[in-house]
Amino acid sequence: MSVATTAESESLANSKIPVLAARDLYCERDDRVLFQHLNFELNAGQVLQIQGSNGSGKTTLLRILCGLNDGYQGSIFWQGVEVTEQAEQFYADLLYIGHRVGVSKVLTPLENLRWSSTLQQRVDDAVIYQALCDVGLRGFEESQCFTLSAGQQQRVSLARLLISPARLWILDEPFTTLDTTGVDLLERLLQQHADKGGAVLVTTHHSLQVPDLQRLSLG
Amino acid sequence: MSAVTTTTGAAFIATLRRDLLIAYKKKHDVVNPFMFFLIVATLFPIGISPEPERLGEIAAGVLWIAALLAAMLSMDSLYRSDFEDGSLEQLLLSPHPLYFMVLAKNIAHWLVSGLPVVLVSPLIAYMLNLPDEAYLAVFLTLLIGTPVLSLLGSIGVALTVGLGSRGLILAVITLPMSVPVLIAGTMAVQQTLNGAPLLGYLAILGALLLGSLALAPLASAAALRITVN
Amino acid sequence: MWLWFSKLGSPKWFYELSGKWLPWLIAVMSLLLIIGIVWALLFVPPDYQQGNTIRIMYIHVPFASISLAFFPLMAVAGTITLVWRMKLADMVAKTAAPLGAWFTALALISGSIWGSDIWGTWWIWDGRLTSMLLQFFLLIGVISLRSALEDTEAASKACAVLSIVGCINVFVIKFSVDWWNTLHQPAGSFSLADDAPNPPEVWVPLVVMILAIYCFFAVSLILATRNEILVRERRAQWVEDLACNS
Repeated sequence: MSVATTAESESLANSKIPVLAARDLYCERDDRVLFQHLNFELNAGQVLQIQGSNGSGKTTLLRILCGLNDGYQGSIFWQGVEVTEQAEQFYADLLYIGHRVGVSKVLTPLENLRWSSTLQQRVDDAVIYQALCDVGLRGFEESQCFTLSAGQQQRVSLARLLISPARLWILDEPFTTLDTTGVDLLERLLQQHADKGGAVLVTTHHSLQVPDLQRLSLG
Repeated sequence: MSAVTTTTGAAFIATLRRDLLIAYKKKHDVVNPFMFFLIVATLFPIGISPEPERLGEIAAGVLWIAALLAAMLSMDSLYRSDFEDGSLEQLLLSPHPLYFMVLAKNIAHWLVSGLPVVLVSPLIAYMLNLPDEAYLAVFLTLLIGTPVLSLLGSIGVALTVGLGSRGLILAVITLPMSVPVLIAGTMAVQQTLNGAPLLGYLAILGALLLGSLALAPLASAAALRITVN
Repeated sequence: MWLWFSKLGSPKWFYELSGKWLPWLIAVMSLLLIIGIVWALLFVPPDYQQGNTIRIMYIHVPFASISLAFFPLMAVAGTITLVWRMKLADMVAKTAAPLGAWFTALALISGSIWGSDIWGTWWIWDGRLTSMLLQFFLLIGVISLRSALEDTEAASKACAVLSIVGCINVFVIKFSVDWWNTLHQPAGSFSLADDAPNPPEVWVPLVVMILAIYCFFAVSLILATRNEILVRERRAQWVEDLACNS
C-alpha cells in the first residue's frame, strides 16, 4: 500500500517536469531543412513514436537527442535542465539502440552484456542469464554472436533493456529484424517500462500496440 | 529509480578486458602486424645487402621503420569493427569520460599489437647483426616508443573511421606525425653506440610518451565524436 | 565585443569588406613585388661566395617563412570552428590547406634550385628542407581528409582537429629534425641563409620581398575564401542578388 502511494507521488512529481523536452529544434543536412521549430515533451510513463517517411530525419532526430549528432540548433532538456549541462547524469539514465545494435559479433551475448552493463551499472551474471532467457536466447549465452541470426542479435540488444537501469530509452527501428514473438516481446517491454515510470522514444513503421501512445510526425 | 553508475575505473577495466578478449578471439589481428614486422625486416637484407657490416649499420633503423609500419598497419582494427557493429556509439554514450575509454582501447591495442613486436625485436636485431651494445637501447626505445606510435595512430584512425577505403589517407596522416619518435628512437641507438649515455634519450622518449598520453586520447575522443555521426 | 565577433563571422560581411579592401591590397602587393624583384635582380651586388645565385634567396626565403604560418593559421581557424562554430573560420581553413601546400612546394622547389648550385646537388637532407617536406606531407593529409569526408560539417570539424594536432606536431617535428640534423651534419656543409650578417643593401630588398609575398599570401587567401563563400552560400539571398546584378 505504502509502495503504491510513493509510486503515485513520484509519478505526480514527475508529471510536472517532462523527462525529455525539445525546444525549437532546427536541423539541416546537405542544404535541406530536415525539421524546424520542432517542440515536444516526453513525460514519465509515456511512449512517443516518431513517424515520418524515409529520409525525413527520424534517425537524425534520435541521434541529436542522444548527443551523437551536434549539428542542430535549439535546446534539449533532461528533467528540466539542459542536457549539455548535466551530460553525465543524462548518459547514466539513457539507453540507445540504433541501427547498429552495439553487439560485437566476435563476443558471446554474455560477454557483450557484461561489458555494456558495466558502462552504466554492473550486474551479476545471473541477471544477464535471466535477461537472455527472457528475450528467448536461452542456450545461446555462450555462442559467438556471428553464429546468431540478425534477429537474434537484435534480441541480444533487447536484453540490455532488461538489465539497464536507464529511465529513458531511445530506440531506432527496433522492430525491423524481429519475428512476431519478438515484436510481442518488445511491445510488452515498452509497456512495462512505461508503467514503471520510464519514458520511451521509438521510431518504427510498425503500428505499435501500446496504450497511451503519443505520436510525432516529421516531414 | 535514478541510476547508480559504475565508477570510471570499472568501465575502464571492462573496456580493456573486452578489447583483449576480442583480440584473443580474433587471433589474426594479433598475428598479422607481428608477421608484417618480421617480413618487412626480412626484406631489407634481401634488398640492400646480406653483408653483416652493412646490416649492422642499418639494423636499428630497419627495426624502427618496420615497427612503425607494423603499428600503422595494425591501427585499422582499433575502431573499425566497433564502428561497424555500433559498440563505438555505446562507448560515446557511456556516462564516463571518453578520454579514459579511448585510453583503455589504445592500451589494449598496444598490448596485442605493439608489445609482441617489441618482444621479438632482439631476435630480429640478432639476425640483422646489430652490435651487441645496442640491444638494450633498441629494446627499451621500442618499448617506450611504440605506445606513442599507437596513441598517435589512434588519432588518424579516429578521424577516418567512417571512410570506406582509407589506407593511404591513414598513412599520410599518421606517418609524418611519427617522425619525432622515429628520430628519438634511432638517435638513441646510434648515440649509445658512440658511447653516449642512454638515459637522456630514454628521457626524451619518455617525455614524448607522457605528452601523447595526455593529449592524443583527447584528440582521438574529439575525432570520434565528429566522425561517428 | 561579441557583436563584433559574430559580425566578423558572417560570410556576407567578410565578402563585402574584403571586396573593398582587395584593390588596395593588390596595389600594395604589386608595388612591393615590382620594387622587390627589380631591386633583387638588378641592383643587389653578387655575393662574394655564391655570386648571382644569391638572388634565388629573394624568392626562397619569403616563401619558406610564410609556409611556417600555415599550420598555426589553420589551428587557430580550427579552434574557432570547434568552439564557436564560425563558418567563416572553416572557409579560411579550407582554402588555407591547398594554398599552404603550394607555398610549401614553392619553398621546397626554390630551395632545391638554390641548393643545386651551392651544394652541387638538388636535394640534401638538410634540417630545414626535411621538416619542410614533412610539413608538406601533413598538409596533403589535411587536404585528403577534407576531400574524403563527404559531410561538410564532419569534414570541417575533423580537419580542425587534424590541424590542431598537426600544428603541435609541426613544432615537435621542427625541433626533432633540427636535432637529428645537427648530429648528422657532415662537416663542411653550410645551411641556406645562415651566412654572416649581410649588409643593408642585401637584406633591405629581402624585407621588401618578404612583405610583398606576405601581401601575395593575403590576396590569394582572401580571393580563395571569397570563392568558397560564394560556393557555400549559393542559396543565400545576397549571393543571388550579387549574381543578378553582375
